[in-house]
Amino acid sequence: MDFLEKYELYACLQCGKCTGGCPVSLRAPLNIRSLMREVLMGGSPEVALECPGLWDCTTCATCTLRCPRGLEPSEVIVGLRGELVEQGNVPKTVIDALEGTFKHGNPWGKPRQKRTEWKGDMAVKVLPDEGEAEWLYFIGCAASYDPRLQGIPRILCRVLEAAGVSFGILGTKESCCGNEIRRMGEAGLFEELREENTKNFNASGAKAIFTMSPHCFNTFSTEYELDGFKVLHYTQLLADLIKEEKLTFSHEVNKKVVYHDPCFLGKQHEVFDPPREILRAIPGLELLEFERSRERSLCCEGGGGRMWAEGAGEGERNSETRVKDAHAMGAEIIATACPFCLLTLEDGAKTTGLEEKVLIREILELVAEAMGFDNV
Amino acid sequence: MDIIVCIKRVPEVAEIDLQVDQTGKGIQDEGLVFGVNDWDNYAVEEAVRIKEKHGGKVTAITVGPAESEDVVRRALALGADEAVMATDPKSEGSDGYAIAKILAAVIKDMTYDIILTGALADDDGYAQVGATLAELLDIPHATLVTAIEIEEKRVKVKRELEGGMEEALDVATPALFTIQSGINEPRYVSIMGIRKVAKKEVATLDLNAVGLSPDQVGAEGSLIFVEKIFPPPVGEGAELLEGSPDEVATKVTDIFQKGGVI
Repeated sequence: MDFLEKYELYACLQCGKCTGGCPVSLRAPLNIRSLMREVLMGGSPEVALECPGLWDCTTCATCTLRCPRGLEPSEVIVGLRGELVEQGNVPKTVIDALEGTFKHGNPWGKPRQKRTEWKGDMAVKVLPDEGEAEWLYFIGCAASYDPRLQGIPRILCRVLEAAGVSFGILGTKESCCGNEIRRMGEAGLFEELREENTKNFNASGAKAIFTMSPHCFNTFSTEYELDGFKVLHYTQLLADLIKEEKLTFSHEVNKKVVYHDPCFLGKQHEVFDPPREILRAIPGLELLEFERSRERSLCCEGGGGRMWAEGAGEGERNSETRVKDAHAMGAEIIATACPFCLLTLEDGAKTTGLEEKVLIREILELVAEAMGFDNV
Repeated sequence: MDIIVCIKRVPEVAEIDLQVDQTGKGIQDEGLVFGVNDWDNYAVEEAVRIKEKHGGKVTAITVGPAESEDVVRRALALGADEAVMATDPKSEGSDGYAIAKILAAVIKDMTYDIILTGALADDDGYAQVGATLAELLDIPHATLVTAIEIEEKRVKVKRELEGGMEEALDVATPALFTIQSGINEPRYVSIMGIRKVAKKEVATLDLNAVGLSPDQVGAEGSLIFVEKIFPPPVGEGAELLEGSPDEVATKVTDIFQKGGVI
């Protein structure tokens, strides 16, 4: 099957809903409607490979979700990046991320031996060597290695222990989920990661997996074939625990908090309510809503490999827009449930100079406050 | 333009807490990840670029344990046409001179215009093999090469000198060049690309096939002997700051301020 058939480019109406909804089209040289047409007219992907905006796409999938013909423009971008990957012609930062993942199992190229560094001296069961558990907690690369994020899985472990959930981790055997790798166009490496992780999931003895990152959650739910495994994002698990009254909050968090929907959790999987249910359950917390929320949430630009590709976009970043919007509505905190959103929004808070006025927090960091955890 | 490029499989050691092994002369390789030496990667890329521009054939050669097949396969996926692996347990413990002898024995009956090697290796960093190999083959060489331009029967190269200077040389072929990193931007080698060359033949030669005797390689055939490997003693003047990232950042800026840096 050739490229045009694979992505059904003949069926494109050129209606422009894709570009109209694209969160980067206003600030980057990327017009997905036009790009689809160019590939169709040129008869091969070759004509589009020089497009300077190819690495601006965040694969948020707004275009795909809104296409009236059911086409997948965001997948066309992934396909075009795939052509570049096979030619070897990709940005140096992307090469480093792909090679780092191939060698060390994470796009930051950090040593595998240090994958459990986030734990500190906390005791967390490694499956299957240290026993059995109902749930497998997939930490993800960002939270495993990024110093800003490493405390967050520790909070989740404490929360789950308090709620009596039986869980374990893969330890240093955990490898990158491959969600971003596939979206950077490295289909072969994605297949290898999927195979290795699936093998380790099966060997773990657990029957259900929860992730901290919506990106891992997405690929396990839709791109792995995990027969017999339940896959949840941690916000779904926590919202259920709150409903079952296994999780209660004792401390007030008297803040105005606006929730930012991550694309790979919200619009792509319609997990809109569980994160909000957790926030609403926190005493004292006033939950605000962005004008652009839920399926209309503004992408933070951290997905689709953008953590490792700067892109060609100019002007105000979406994360900066988001922080300014939050400040304008009187929010003191933007809460989110994605490691990439957390990092990009925090950058936005710094570059807009609103760092001290609008704090960026993972929902779990507010949960820790509400549970009265110290030293998190 | 037929090109031979010599490559080495080395451990990735960045950010790894290396441990000296029981012999005291090596490092524990358990848990280490291996890949192609960074400088050699630039050499393979340069060889393939020259071939793409001028035609000819690229042959990648490695000397090392059987696992070294990974690095020559990667070279094939990058664009090399043929691959040779000289592997023999008797060669273990060879110094740069002994490795160069093995390479010279493999290369002596091959036809080539230029040989490329990395300027040095990520692991032991001797920078010996390239120059020694050129001497053994009795051909001219230039080290730390940062640019190559091919002319008929001659090659114009630039070398990196100290003090920000460069040197331009005109060298008759056949010749050997040791490649400095940054000479090009090596392309990405995809997993699909590596899978495509999975069935391509890698000529595997033991010592006998190479035409050397055991006493010419390994410790016996070497001129340099490692006495011990050890972490250097902790010196004075270095201060390790401890605490959370915020606390460490505050301490660093305090030190900068006191020292008049900011």
